[in-house]
Amino acid sequence: MLVPIPVVCFVGTLMTDIAYWFTANMQWANFSAWLLSVGLIVAALAVLAGLIDFFGDRRIRQIRTAWIHAGGNAVALALSIVNVFVHSRDAYTSVVPTGLILSAVVVLILGVTGWLGAGLVHRHGVGVEAGERA
Amino acid sequence: MTHGRAVVAIAILLPLCACGPDPIDPRTQVGPNPPLPEPHQYLLPPMHVSSAVGWKDGETPQVAAGLQVKALATGLKNPRSILVLPNGDILVAESGGPTPPVNRPKEIIMGWLERKSHSAETPGQRITLLRDADGDGVPEERSILLDKQNSPFGMALVGNDLYVAETDAVMRYPYKTGETKISEPGVKLTELPAGHINHHWTKSLTASPDGTKLYAGVGSNSNITENGIDEEKDRAAIWEIDRATGAHRLFATGLRNPNGLTFEPQTKTLWCVVNERDELGPDLVPDYMTSVKDGGFYGWPYSYWGQHVDPRVMPQRPEMVASAIMPDYSLSSHVAPLGMTFYTGTALPQAYQGGAFVGEHGSWDRNPLNGYKVVYVPFENGKPAGKAQDVVTGFVTEANEARGRPVGLAVDSHGGLLIADDAGGTVWRVTGASSQSKAGPSPILR
Repeated sequence: MLVPIPVVCFVGTLMTDIAYWFTANMQWANFSAWLLSVGLIVAALAVLAGLIDFFGDRRIRQIRTAWIHAGGNAVALALSIVNVFVHSRDAYTSVVPTGLILSAVVVLILGVTGWLGAGLVHRHGVGVEAGERA
Repeated sequence: MTHGRAVVAIAILLPLCACGPDPIDPRTQVGPNPPLPEPHQYLLPPMHVSSAVGWKDGETPQVAAGLQVKALATGLKNPRSILVLPNGDILVAESGGPTPPVNRPKEIIMGWLERKSHSAETPGQRITLLRDADGDGVPEERSILLDKQNSPFGMALVGNDLYVAETDAVMRYPYKTGETKISEPGVKLTELPAGHINHHWTKSLTASPDGTKLYAGVGSNSNITENGIDEEKDRAAIWEIDRATGAHRLFATGLRNPNGLTFEPQTKTLWCVVNERDELGPDLVPDYMTSVKDGGFYGWPYSYWGQHVDPRVMPQRPEMVASAIMPDYSLSSHVAPLGMTFYTGTALPQAYQGGAFVGEHGSWDRNPLNGYKVVYVPFENGKPAGKAQDVVTGFVTEANEARGRPVGLAVDSHGGLLIADDAGGTVWRVTGASSQSKAGPSPILR
């Protein structure tokens, strides 16, 4: 239930970063900083839930896709932590170029891990009650 | 997946290590041509915010040889600046800034960090009068001259007009010699830029030697335009205000946070001390003192120390950078000079004749600390001549806590150097060690 929130926040960060890149209007950079911060706080909770799934069920750990999903999300999260520090700088270099690049890479990774995550649910039935599958 | 975990570990640890150039000895940056390292932008800048712990009973700052220091007044509520009146009365502005708004997450964190560096005492927002007629360093009288001020800082007296630069306006009050309380309401001479952000709120003030003009320092509304360039209108400048009409023009611009406005006594040139920008490294950008040229542009925000372009400003303005004047004298980086006074009294040793004392409030954007002292810059023919010397130190404990932090300076009618110490709630008075400053009918002879 938590995962969509950081995903929306990090996609939003990329959009407001691009808006700042084109306009140099600080309001967009401020949006990015807030979106990143909220995204990271909720992501921390989502990671907890994900880790419980991952380590709580041996069957999940046997799925190769689950490893890629978890690893990709870990990288995206790590880059976003760096990104929130970059965005804490003052004015133009809080976004261009490092922050903008990090935001774009994170969204790319989330696109891949999101796709794999959907596969985990629909093909492997991860996070689905036994009765629902039948 | 150990790779993923390693990335996480690196990502968490990377911001915590303040990777960047090692700080250099700040003394190498004191003087007219400071060495400037390459700018470095951090994930987390190396900071050290000193906690304000106050002075214990009997503790005082240390002074250079040939001097002594005593508290003139204690228990003040954030004393920030001092004006000595012609009759010898001493005005102390007890003041604090407005609560800054939170426009982004960083400001919440910085707010937490900075809170501990300020005195626990709520700023008085008033002007207190101290009267030490016999010059023994113990005021016989203490009263509140003006109360309920809006972050007062600069003060100037011309004839019977007392001007107070509150953070949003220069106010004029009628003053009669010997008065200890002004009850008449002030008249607003000129509005000053304040607004909801009001990042640099201290408005320094001085009068021209002929008394026709006032000069007000108006600091920038950000570190480096991160609140938007529109918020910087008429800021980072020294305003020249016509005393008769209140009309103003920008006398000089590009001065990020100019304070300590004062006329050099020999050449009658306007000087100020300036707080330069943060977060480019422990040794960038040096704070400085400079003479101020009419119409001069001193770089902020587009460049620093002449033509060094700041990459954080967009859009850039190469034509402005080209016109930027190099300041006269570096005080080294992040010392935060907030007060300056030229010394022409006779109570201090001859070595302190004609030069400028500078009050350095002290650094946060650097580790180890820098500033937290009063220095003396010798002058010859109206120009700095030689290295700044430490005059009053000992504001910082061995644990890097601040007992006090020097701000505004003034010279009293007996020649003593007065230091407003906001974190310590004290006004210190420095005199010659042999106490020759003790003027009056019957000096005590030892």
